[in-house]
Amino acid sequence: MKRLLKQPFWQGAIVVAIAYVVFKYLIGYALPIIGVSSAPVPSSVILQYMLTVFVGVLLYMSAEEGRWGTFQKPIKEAMVSRDQKNLRGVLMVVIPIMVGWLAYQNVKPSFAAPATLRSIHPAPPNEITFRGLPIQLTGLENPLHENGSLEEHLQVGKAIYVKNCVPCHGDLLDGAGHFAQVFNPIPADFTNSGTLPMLTESFVFWRIAKGGPGLPQEGTPWDSAMPAWENILDENEIWSVILFLYDQTGFSPRTWHEEGEEGGEEH
Amino acid sequence: MRKTVRRMVVLITGFLMGFSVVSGQDVEAGKVVYDKWCAECHGIDGLGDGSAATTMLPRPRDFSQARYQIRTTGSGQLPTDDDLRLAIQEGLPGTTMPGWPNLSGPETEDVIAYVKSLSRFFGQGDPPQSLDFGSDPGGGSEAIEIGAQAYLTLECEACHGSAGRGEGTSSPTLEDWRGFPIRAADLTEGWYLNGGGSVEDIHARVLTGLDGTPMPAASDAMNAGVVSPDEVWQLAHYIASLGSAEMPTLRDVVRVARVEGTLPTDGSEAEWEGVDTFYFPLAGQVIQPPRNFAPTVDGVYVQGLHDGVDIVLRVQWHDPSESPDPAWDEWQVKFMNAIDLDGDSLVVDSLEAPMVRPPDALAVQFPFEIPEGTERPYFLMGDARNPVYLWTWNDQSGIGAGRGRGLDSVEELPEDPVTGNATWEDGRWTLYFRRAVTMEGDGLSFQEGTAIPVAFLAWDGSSGEVGKRNSISSWYYMLLDKPASSTVVVAPLIAILLTGALGLVLVRRAQDRERG
Ligand code: HEC
Ligand code: HEC
Repeated sequence: MKRLLKQPFWQGAIVVAIAYVVFKYLIGYALPIIGVSSAPVPSSVILQYMLTVFVGVLLYMSAEEGRWGTFQKPIKEAMVSRDQKNLRGVLMVVIPIMVGWLAYQNVKPSFAAPATLRSIHPAPPNEITFRGLPIQLTGLENPLHENGSLEEHLQVGKAIYVKNCVPCHGDLLDGAGHFAQVFNPIPADFTNSGTLPMLTESFVFWRIAKGGPGLPQEGTPWDSAMPAWENILDENEIWSVILFLYDQTGFSPRTWHEEGEEGGEEH
Repeated sequence: MRKTVRRMVVLITGFLMGFSVVSGQDVEAGKVVYDKWCAECHGIDGLGDGSAATTMLPRPRDFSQARYQIRTTGSGQLPTDDDLRLAIQEGLPGTTMPGWPNLSGPETEDVIAYVKSLSRFFGQGDPPQSLDFGSDPGGGSEAIEIGAQAYLTLECEACHGSAGRGEGTSSPTLEDWRGFPIRAADLTEGWYLNGGGSVEDIHARVLTGLDGTPMPAASDAMNAGVVSPDEVWQLAHYIASLGSAEMPTLRDVVRVARVEGTLPTDGSEAEWEGVDTFYFPLAGQVIQPPRNFAPTVDGVYVQGLHDGVDIVLRVQWHDPSESPDPAWDEWQVKFMNAIDLDGDSLVVDSLEAPMVRPPDALAVQFPFEIPEGTERPYFLMGDARNPVYLWTWNDQSGIGAGRGRGLDSVEELPEDPVTGNATWEDGRWTLYFRRAVTMEGDGLSFQEGTAIPVAFLAWDGSSGEVGKRNSISSWYYMLLDKPASSTVVVAPLIAILLTGALGLVLVRRAQDRERG
């Protein structure tokens, strides 16, 4: 076993195998188990990634004369050695069949939906028009922190949430409302640590006010069922429901300070 | 299976908690949980009148009267703590009441105590006792046949209908104890049943009844000797056999198979038997006002065939009323008064007013052209910039086609050659659309072997659904089979031969070189 691991050919084979397992299974199926949101990688993308890994391995192996020699050794042996006659026979049958199978996978009629790539938190604009009036998003804070009673704002926000948002985002704020299964993309899960804590309140305001139709192209605005709430809720109502979202989930919004430090979503 | 495991966990926690039920339940702590998670629906005093309650049918439970559906106790009895725990942890599918797995064990116990404290009926007399459920004599075709007989004997048909889709003649008159209209459950879609769709679940609901609804308890008939305990189990097996407990898996591409010979048009059930059926759940249109919070149609079943010249789509959905139907006038008035119409004007608030009876309707939506990239029209019937191509049907004007530029902006395309017909039977519409695969002029030309976006919209007239108040789906795809081609066999064969030959050459050369 140890000897095998020292041999560059098997090192390369193991790297390729691990890469395949990561792309095919880990990203799409294992990450969600530990709570990171993810989706299976489309097979065309896997093919691209695998080619890159393969070429990378070959480049590394051939970068040094000595390594290249040892790398080739098992291959040469399988091709010429008298002792490897049986292995040779098996490979001569198995490899063409595998290639044939790959070819079949490519030409057989496919009933998979075309892959669409979608940006989940696209960059927000600097400014939006809300019911005809301009609102500067950059640097914008939730005005209700400074105004009136938090208790009351939360009560307003909660009533708005339960009436308007529950059907999709769910009573548990987990994106699993009674209509959620119908929509694709599925409604956002606010209990996920990758959502609310990563966003400033102004970003959340933009997403609520402008909804699916207000997304940039990379957010596939034609698919998103998120309503443009400016047609139903006024400014204070939206800020109240934002307060409720953070309060009910126990998360804190991203601040403009943090945003500045990491360069944030601004481009 | 998953459900069974979850249920066992519930039972075990229940068992562990059982010893400390009284001391382990803290009403004060329960109020904190209740106010945070439950009050907006069930009301701050538990009267089922939370601020969002008017958007929901069935309404959130009024706890003050302590009428519960999920019980193992007799009709009219209080539920046990185990019953309440099950209802809270698993929720009531098909309603807005979800399960609450986010609450910890102690939080759940506390909220149970608080919910009980909202009614003066708990804590009086002996604690409620579960009924003896007997044991399941087993399923199988014979049991199902006996069950079907019991279904007739006990007159379940009056409400649930002969097909079990809730299309019984009493259906339009049903109301719950608070006077809100209530539908007889669609027994063929087990995944939407409040108490779950397994035989045990159904048996428990049928035996003990659903208190607060018109649904009677079979235990009364059983005690009167009309049916035996075994027959009640067999009735549950019969109901479970009407549908599945789990929602069909969602597949996002409708395969439209290619047939040689004639296409079934208005074909009999038999002609469509072997054709793959795709189920798509629908939701109320809750995106643009006036919104539809409590839709009737919650799914469509879609099949398709083509012969290279014509394409036929067959769409089926459950709707207990064949609207317009005067038998449902009373229902329509009650329903529209009970639900928040979100500012819609079509309110007929009394039976004396002149009746407006909207027809049932359905639309299949495509883009006008097969999209080049990923962009497609807005899924809610398109928009001004990017319209959708619609096949439409309603129970008054029949089949047509249209250009949609938004939910309230549909322009008819009278020249479109799409034809079809619809029939309603036992609570189910079966609708056919037929058109040429390719098309001159305004309208989509289908292309074999290319995924084409498709979506569905439905209206139930008897619940006052018109215009924007409807049921919607998101975009899915439709794919027409290409004619059978020889490439599928030839290409892999060539690949095998070439690789084999290449392998031979390489090995031969390597060996020659080795020998020098
Ligand atoms: C989004 C609204 C909503 C929220 C939030 C909600 N419920 Fe409900 N609940 C309902 C509705 C609606 C029903 C009645 C369903 C029916 O009649 O079929 C119901 C029914 C119930 C029932 C009765 C079950 C039975 O056997 O009849 C219990 C118990 C219950 N809820 C407890 C709770 C608790 C505890 C919470 C908070 C942790 C909660 N609910 C939060 C909507 C809600
Ligand atoms: C008077 C009308 C009526 C009759 C008769 C009736 N039901 Fe029902 N049934 C209802 C209503 C209404 C509901 C839905 C209650 C709800 O949604 O909360 C229902 C619900 C159900 C459910 C679903 C329970 C769940 O978990 O949601 C089953 C199963 C059922 N009925 C079976 C039967 C059987 C079996 C019979 C005959 C013994 C029967 N019903 C007779 C009105 C009726």
